[in-house]
Amino acid sequence: MNDTTSTAVSPVPASAAPVRDEGLGEITRRTFWEANERHALGIGFIVFVLLLWEVIPHILTLSRGMDLFFTTPTQVAMTLYNMFASGEIWPAFKFSAVAFSVGLGLSIVAALPLGVIIGRSHTMNAMLDPFITAFNATPRLVFLPIILVWFGIGMWSVVVVVFIGAVFPLLINTYAGVRNADRLLINVVRSFGASEWQINKLVILPNSMPFIIAGLRLAIGRAILGIVVAEFFGGSSEGIGVMMNDAAGKFQVDIVFAGLVIFMALSLVMVGGVKVLEARLSRWRPENVKSF
Amino acid sequence: MVAYIEAKNVNLIFTPPNRMPVTALKDFNISVGEGEFVSIVGPSGCGKSTFLNVLLGLIPPHSGEMAINGKRVSGPGQDRAMVFQEFGLLPWRTVLNNVELGLELKGVATSERRPVSQKFIEMVGLAGFEGHYPHELSGGMKQRVGLARALATDPDVLLMDEPFAALDAQTRDIMQAELLRIWQEAKKTVLFVTHQIEEAVYLSDRVIVMTKRPGRAKKIIDIPLPRPRDYEMRVTQEFNDLKLQLWNELKDELTVHGNG
Repeated sequence: MNDTTSTAVSPVPASAAPVRDEGLGEITRRTFWEANERHALGIGFIVFVLLLWEVIPHILTLSRGMDLFFTTPTQVAMTLYNMFASGEIWPAFKFSAVAFSVGLGLSIVAALPLGVIIGRSHTMNAMLDPFITAFNATPRLVFLPIILVWFGIGMWSVVVVVFIGAVFPLLINTYAGVRNADRLLINVVRSFGASEWQINKLVILPNSMPFIIAGLRLAIGRAILGIVVAEFFGGSSEGIGVMMNDAAGKFQVDIVFAGLVIFMALSLVMVGGVKVLEARLSRWRPENVKSF
Repeated sequence: MVAYIEAKNVNLIFTPPNRMPVTALKDFNISVGEGEFVSIVGPSGCGKSTFLNVLLGLIPPHSGEMAINGKRVSGPGQDRAMVFQEFGLLPWRTVLNNVELGLELKGVATSERRPVSQKFIEMVGLAGFEGHYPHELSGGMKQRVGLARALATDPDVLLMDEPFAALDAQTRDIMQAELLRIWQEAKKTVLFVTHQIEEAVYLSDRVIVMTKRPGRAKKIIDIPLPRPRDYEMRVTQEFNDLKLQLWNELKDELTVHGNG
């Protein structure tokens, strides 16, 4: 933030807009392959693995026992399609999606203001830091029995597990970001008569945004983990995790994989969403430090 | 001369944790007339920047009285605005939105603050750069934004805390000339902190020399050079005599702790 490299000489600033580096003369046009190499290799390898997986049963004769535990990508895709087409997956899907959204949403609503308060107040920081550290250092699974006792088997238990998974990384990152806030900028807005609330809105939050985004990314991972953990270990009798667990018990391997694909897709969509958010929020940053 | 800015017996003591208390300002007195351009020079750490922050209302003094146009200073106020050494631009805001900051905090509606900020962006020579972000600007341009932002709230007093110290020599020369032009146009009372003797002489009506810490006003030197001033004036005998006079006052303060 401390841009002391700004001694660049520009004695007649009004004359020209900042000129981008034109390179050394000739612009070399990148071929299609050069421009898309990374993506092509990445996608190509996934396709390769899926194909290999697909043809295994055709080239190897699997024993009777192996066959029972085996499935192929096309079978998984068919199962997934049928579950959505027939609508049988919707109740489980809805349950998990709602628990995930509510849990993550609550953690954001709780972590941001609390993070700002803890980051701004030495007293609150001293009081709450050991508590948060201890809580955060404990594996979430440890809390599952007591959460089940308090909230019962069902939606609320899953929501709570997701919440306590997601809230700590967000909280810790938010207050780290807030404590990192630029004193000079705070003084600038104070000098114009800003209230405490305006200081938070105009300086503290935008200044902490890189930390908050990084926290959000962690929180999403923890929230998905929370769903899986809660549903696998008896937190509810519904949801994708429960569906996978039941299917595994009945050796319905394709359904287990279908659930896995759904969780993968959820992760990818959420990470993509954070990337879009990050790009929107970092338009003001210099190119070379765009990545948070 | 009627005092427009008046500081009487201002004392400030810093108590850093686990350190001995430091007296930053001791019985500091100054008096500045309306529309005057006054510089404060002094050795590093003498408390000259600290005094600006006290006058700005960011640091409450331990004792003493300060008033601007007869109104007691007890916190930040619309009658003052600061131009900061390290610019202090919000990096996530465009030039236009940075210049508007003060008006926004004053509660001026968007439609009303647009033409005002536009006017000051033009005054500092940044027309066409409204949509740029600070990182896209050179140091001199950033400080132009800082100046426009301070002027946009139409303060009576402009406080400038070594505003050109972070700029290279040529940009600084240009900015000094620009500041004089804008000061004549905008008719503000300016209190300007610098460690550069030449800058102080070139810009000011009067220069206050501060002692080393704890900072007191040691001597006030009048700069009777005619206005408008231009660059050639800097090579005249009169200008150099004033520089020497200032240097003689200052040099006694620059010992003991060395590098000044």
